[in-house]
Amino acid sequence: MTTVWAGLATGAIYSLIAIGYNVVLLASGTFNFAHAQLLMVGTFLAYTGAVTFGLPVLPTVLLAAAGVAVIALVEERVAIRPLLGRTDSHGTLITTVGAATVLDGLAAAIWGRQPLTVPSVLPDEPLTLLGGTVRPVDLALIGFTLVVGVGLHLWSRHTLTGLASLASAEDRDAASARGINVRLLGVGAFAVAGAVAGVFGLLVGARTYAVFDLGHSLALFGFVAIAIGGSGSQLGGLIGGFATGLVYAFAARYIGAAYPQIVVFGVFLLILFLRPRGLFGAALERRV
Amino acid sequence: MNALIHRFRPLGVLLLLVLLLVAPTVGLLDGYWSRTVMLIAILSLLVSGLNVVLGYAGELAMGQVALYAVGAYVAGYLGVEFGLTNVLVALVAAMLAAVVVGLITGIPGLRLGGWSLAMVTFFLVTLVPNLVDVFSDVTGGTLGMATAVPTLFGIEIVGDRLYWLVILVVIAWFTVARNLLLSRHGNMFLVLRQSPILASVLGVSVYRLKLLVYVVGAIPAALAGALFSMLDGFIAPDTFTFALALSVLAASVVGGATSVYGAIAGAAVMQLGQQTFTQFQTWQLVIYGAFLLIAGIAFNRGLVGLAQDGLAAARRRGWLPNRPATAAAPGGDEPVKTPLEPLDGVVLRTEGLSKSFGGNRALDDVTIEARPGEVTALIGPNGSGKTTLLNLICGLYKPSGGRLLLGDQQIGGQPTYRIARYGVARTFQTPLIPKDMSTLAFVATGRYMNHKVGILPAILRLPVFRRGYAADDERAMALLRLVGIADVAGKQVNSLALGTRRLVEVARSLASGARVFLFDEVGSGLDESDLAVLERAIGMIREAGGTVILVEHNFPLVLKLADRIHVLSQGKLLASGPPAHIQADRRVLAEYTGATDLPEEPDDAHAPATPKGAN
Repeated sequence: MTTVWAGLATGAIYSLIAIGYNVVLLASGTFNFAHAQLLMVGTFLAYTGAVTFGLPVLPTVLLAAAGVAVIALVEERVAIRPLLGRTDSHGTLITTVGAATVLDGLAAAIWGRQPLTVPSVLPDEPLTLLGGTVRPVDLALIGFTLVVGVGLHLWSRHTLTGLASLASAEDRDAASARGINVRLLGVGAFAVAGAVAGVFGLLVGARTYAVFDLGHSLALFGFVAIAIGGSGSQLGGLIGGFATGLVYAFAARYIGAAYPQIVVFGVFLLILFLRPRGLFGAALERRV
Repeated sequence: MNALIHRFRPLGVLLLLVLLLVAPTVGLLDGYWSRTVMLIAILSLLVSGLNVVLGYAGELAMGQVALYAVGAYVAGYLGVEFGLTNVLVALVAAMLAAVVVGLITGIPGLRLGGWSLAMVTFFLVTLVPNLVDVFSDVTGGTLGMATAVPTLFGIEIVGDRLYWLVILVVIAWFTVARNLLLSRHGNMFLVLRQSPILASVLGVSVYRLKLLVYVVGAIPAALAGALFSMLDGFIAPDTFTFALALSVLAASVVGGATSVYGAIAGAAVMQLGQQTFTQFQTWQLVIYGAFLLIAGIAFNRGLVGLAQDGLAAARRRGWLPNRPATAAAPGGDEPVKTPLEPLDGVVLRTEGLSKSFGGNRALDDVTIEARPGEVTALIGPNGSGKTTLLNLICGLYKPSGGRLLLGDQQIGGQPTYRIARYGVARTFQTPLIPKDMSTLAFVATGRYMNHKVGILPAILRLPVFRRGYAADDERAMALLRLVGIADVAGKQVNSLALGTRRLVEVARSLASGARVFLFDEVGSGLDESDLAVLERAIGMIREAGGTVILVEHNFPLVLKLADRIHVLSQGKLLASGPPAHIQADRRVLAEYTGATDLPEEPDDAHAPATPKGAN
């Protein structure tokens, strides 16, 4: 059961990444490769707030949320908006990888290349729960991720803004013609995704350390979560993230320390091969 | 003077290459610089492989570094474990390994398009240390492995000889890449990058072509790995980092991904930058990222693009001699009267064809027939299902019900590329036009499937390739003349105006020698003279026995061209008949003019009204 808790806690981080991808994907149709880097910056800002400035929890969280939201907005302005309306869609493949790399490089230059320990805001002694042990901070991570994931899912299905976002992901021009401010939605999505990543900086950092290349593996596992859950499905991404985390934890526990990545890669290839739309995704038809 | 320069150009290139080869021997390059040249050469192999995938097929493959590792370890292992130090064996083994890894990652990674391949290959790079660790018996683990001295038929390949090997392999690869990319295949890759839909309508299986391009792009990376293991004599996992993957990507976009030789320029910039500036290490990631951002947004043709623009400007101002006119259009742009060769038209029939999107029935139980040697027109207001019907016929949509017959063959639900291969060609409401290609070459892509020249003949530039190319060009030129736009044959096809693009699409659909032609609003946006040309072209297709289905809003044009008209309204077939009949149909009139106050007629509207203006 301890392995399950560890898997769920790691998986929560992957779910967060998948949720971030989906928020932007649903609103603007762009896949923001750099989202994992936003979470990475969130862990550093949490470190800066909690350790360097010695702030209490709430101001630290607010600082990280605001900081990452601003960075996400800058990224949207620099790496995404100039490409809107171009006919070939693979421009953002390059620019979002570019933005991610710049963020990696800046983080390494500002905070150094050594991992920094982000303090845990909750007591460190593990709890025994359902026959396994889990740190309170990990439990909080799992819980808050569930709340945010389910919340965003309900929001996108049941509020006007959420539905507008779904509509504009489906067809920007048609949504625009219906009076939806497509651009504002896209920008808003980046801000929301950034803020969520920032809020979780403290909890994620407590589990992973703050380190400049954190984004690489998170981007990959977040994408595996999307592949399992189907792109654009918030609930799918949430479940996919937890599933990925569990696979990772069990492979590490029962096969060996060098294997979890390889096993997850194998699962990833299998899913792409057998169910390319994900386990929860619906088939889309392309149109002319 | 001009002719002289061009006569001696190949010779000049050859001389430069020989000079490059002998440079270390005659003392032009010292040890440091010959190593630098080798490193640039090896990096340019990695970049070139990425260019093939990214610049031509539009897929991001970040796994060049993993394939680089595969090549290095395969070559190293063969030498250490089996004493197979022959460089040819090492290079061939590395290539085979690249193909295997390419297939394992490409087959799942390309199923979905978009980011899947990027992520699969990126994952592969991060797996290198794990895999090296897991197979530490073979790879020497994190400590690394010393490789054996490479040989060729008993001669040790070290020093200058290794330099020659590296340069020769690089020359060989770039020859292959050039011959592949500057051929119909390369043009088809460009079509694929711009629009997978267009590629499939041209009869190409998008998935298989992407897989082919990806596997081809994997090969130079593995060759580079094998060469690197010979150069350093030592392989350790910390060579194959994500930072290296990013530098390959940055070199690709800096040099210009859609170019053959941009890889060398990009590799040189990266390698020299890394060696020259000591600050590079600290700011490496920021620099790579900035390169990607700037190149992705501002100049997406890279250094090669800038150089081409510069050369073109210099030529315009007379600073440089002009290129000799390339196969100027003989005969000018007068539309010719030569009729088309007979087309093997075939009956296309829909039986109760339906299509629903969710609850929306876009097409409901439509039965029509289009016969060879006739023009069948589909008209109806926007949203009536005309384009949906075309999309069903050419396989972009799968029918929800009913049958679709080409002759006696049921083709409904088959993939687009297969339907295209049966001889169904189409044009698009918004013409799909690729970048970086001449009009002539684009029209010739219509012949890609039916007049195929294999990849090997293209790479080796065999006579069969030259003949095929000449025939393609001749045919494409004839078709451009047919639609009266021979004067734009040499222009970039994406620089043309909308009306001309439509005519280019007509020529492109004719190039395939199709049996059924689907023209989607081909007349809109054309001026009077273009319309006249279009009318005549469609007339010729009819004369030649082709089956034409025309979707058109221009009612007078439809009346003039069509032998039979089907009127769609809200997904249903409203009326069918010859033009005179349709023109007199009150329901059609009501649908078109929105008029509801027409005098009611008790009789069935299907009964022919008084024919007026019948032809």
